Amino acid sequence: MADLTVTVERPPTAVRRPRRALLSLVPALVVGCYLLVAAVGPLLIHYDPVHTSLTDRLLAPGSRTSTGDTAWLGTDGLGRDMLAQIAYGARTAVLIGACTVTLSGLVGVVLGAVAGYFRGAADAVLARIFDVLLAFPAILLAIVIAGAFERSALLVVLALSATGWIGFARVTRGIALSLRERPWVDAARVLGVPGRTILARHVLPFTAGPVVALATLEFALVVLAEAGLSFLGIGLPPSTVSWGQTIAGGKEYLETQWWIATLPGIALSLLIVAIGILGDQLTARYGRGRPGRTPTTHSSARTG
Amino acid sequence: MTRTRERRRSRLVRLATTATAGAALLAACTTTTGGDDTGGADDGEVTVAGTYPIESLDPHGAQGASTGTQLAAQEIFSRLVKPDADGTLKGDLATSWKPNKDVTAWTFTLRDGVTFSDGSALDADDVVASFQRMTGLNGPNAGNFPGDTMTRTSATEVVLHSPAPDASVPGKLGTFYVLPTGVGKDDTAFFNHPVGSGPFTVAAFTPSESLALVPNSKYRGTRPAPRRVTIRDIPELAARLTALRTGEVDVVWGIPDDQLAALKGQKDLTVRTVPSSAEFTMWFNSSVSALKDAEVRRAIWQAVDFGTIIRELYPETGRPADAPVTGVVLGHVAQQPVTYDPKAAKAALTAAGFDFTRKLRLQFANAEFRPFVQAVVSDLQKVGVRVDPLEKEQAAFTEDLLALKWDINFQQLATPSYDAASNLGRLYTCAAERMGYCNRRLDGVLAAAGATADKKRRTDLYGQASRIIWQDAVGMYPMSVSIAYAWNSHLTGFVPDASGLPDFATVRTGGS
Repeated sequence: MADLTVTVERPPTAVRRPRRALLSLVPALVVGCYLLVAAVGPLLIHYDPVHTSLTDRLLAPGSRTSTGDTAWLGTDGLGRDMLAQIAYGARTAVLIGACTVTLSGLVGVVLGAVAGYFRGAADAVLARIFDVLLAFPAILLAIVIAGAFERSALLVVLALSATGWIGFARVTRGIALSLRERPWVDAARVLGVPGRTILARHVLPFTAGPVVALATLEFALVVLAEAGLSFLGIGLPPSTVSWGQTIAGGKEYLETQWWIATLPGIALSLLIVAIGILGDQLTARYGRGRPGRTPTTHSSARTG
Repeated sequence: MTRTRERRRSRLVRLATTATAGAALLAACTTTTGGDDTGGADDGEVTVAGTYPIESLDPHGAQGASTGTQLAAQEIFSRLVKPDADGTLKGDLATSWKPNKDVTAWTFTLRDGVTFSDGSALDADDVVASFQRMTGLNGPNAGNFPGDTMTRTSATEVVLHSPAPDASVPGKLGTFYVLPTGVGKDDTAFFNHPVGSGPFTVAAFTPSESLALVPNSKYRGTRPAPRRVTIRDIPELAARLTALRTGEVDVVWGIPDDQLAALKGQKDLTVRTVPSSAEFTMWFNSSVSALKDAEVRRAIWQAVDFGTIIRELYPETGRPADAPVTGVVLGHVAQQPVTYDPKAAKAALTAAGFDFTRKLRLQFANAEFRPFVQAVVSDLQKVGVRVDPLEKEQAAFTEDLLALKWDINFQQLATPSYDAASNLGRLYTCAAERMGYCNRRLDGVLAAAGATADKKRRTDLYGQASRIIWQDAVGMYPMSVSIAYAWNSHLTGFVPDASGLPDFATVRTGGS
């Protein structure tokens, strides 16, 4: 009987495990698809945001255009192809997201590590600055900065980085605070290794896991915020394709030509959800530590 | 293992719950809460959704020229003269008006026995005090009367003196409202409960939200038909149209063409478009070196296929314009249409030595014009002229407009006085410096047109001025605009207004 129970119970577990493993790959696959579209799409599809074709305006998905092509995802109010807009929009979203996360990550990690490792006056000042800035609603600050100057991609990156780095700084500071008390750091200090080198060689490398996990989540937020700014008309200039602008252009047609606002909206939300789950997975693996990892990352992450 | 599975499941459930809650929240945000409090019932209540918000009730103040304030003011206060729904001038407080010989003074005879809504009499003193208040506050409407003064000659007669001959005074007075004597600047006490002599009085007012009007029992004319008129501000177009369909509001206007088709299919709605005094006006900045040459300006105009743009984007509310002012304006004389010819345009630009590497700045202010502007930019790109569309915030737009910080300026330019004097006569002179264009001959024609009160002669002179402006391509004049109105068919007596300022005094509910 006991044997029988075992044989009965085993197969489902055996089936479930790979299915779950596959399922957990879905977010990474989705994000991968977006990256692929962002990288390759614009090379395959030609699109000029300035060019309009009024005779092809408001075509439903799958219609033929006046040039004989098929508008697979329809056209917008100025006869511009939706598929191309979504592909080019993906590139914009990924580029803006990557630039912003890199910039805010660099600033945040450096300042956080300095504050956490050197402590003292530097920490007191920097930590208070983090706290004060954290009290600002991030999107409002971004709107103020983006609205005050002429629209450009650089400005959007700067506006979104203005508050984006604080998360990185706080996480890094927490880890650095804990790491500086570790035996190998003490040993390096006793050996006379300069502080800057200790920070770079013996502290910073251990922040990589949590920072990457945080960067993923931050990336999703930045993509969303960029779309928000462009939707409000204070983000990217009209010559750059952005999902936010496409959605804004389609909001008047929601009832009759649903595809203009809906399709980029779906593209945007799918990317955000996929990145969010991926970020959760990364946090579970690297951020909070896992059995089998080095005890250092394990304990450091707990403090962070 | 089971625990992780459960945790995952609970996370899924949480995600789903958040999504549902989000959707519910979004649905709640779409303002229209299926109320049919006015729909079809003969209750005498009319609810309308204006195109622009009403931010202030002071017709002399800083907001005085805004469409919202004008819409409210014409129901609450009286004017000396007012334009009819089609633009012809009618006496309101004045029974007659006439100029002196050299058109520097206009005498207005006032209606006898007019009272304000609080019962006090309205006489020449109130008219003079209101005029002084308007010019003193120096709001946008005061700009129509630079250096003008008003004097009282008797209790029922006032005279308006202008420093220079000005035949357009009656037309311009269409934005001048009479308030009781003694209203101060920013007089909140008065404007919370304004006293006027118009068909309605204010029951409740929340700026940028709603204005409730009830009939003025002391009104001199026919008592307004509706028991209560509520003017609501619904900023989002989609929400405004949904409100119209559900019966939450009875009248909506300023509807874009793409939405008209859907509304026309509704059998309980009446949809109508009326030609207005507004025209798409795209001035060239003649003071920049690239656009100094009239040949270049003409070629750029020729390079844009306005016919197709209008047919595709504005099939209902747009008509190709044939003069710098629209057909409803005094002084309109049709000009030779400019034909689309990109090849000739390219050749002319090359011949004139146009610098194709230079990017022209095209400024405009409202998101609703974005498609039009983009279509123009696209056409110009085809002949190699690079244009940067710059959508600006209204205040920044106006500031840059006056400072000439643009190469092409897009505006929907209305002539609310229905008189070319306040458009051509005011904007195109050398002294005005509005588009860097200066032509002494044009100055002479405009001055002559302003100095005569004879309608035929004025139309003739403004026709000559229009020809100079048109041929020199001071700007591109692609389209005259109609305003689309839609109202519930149970309303009777509603007259769509050419300037987007409909009067609700004659509207009755429960008609069909």
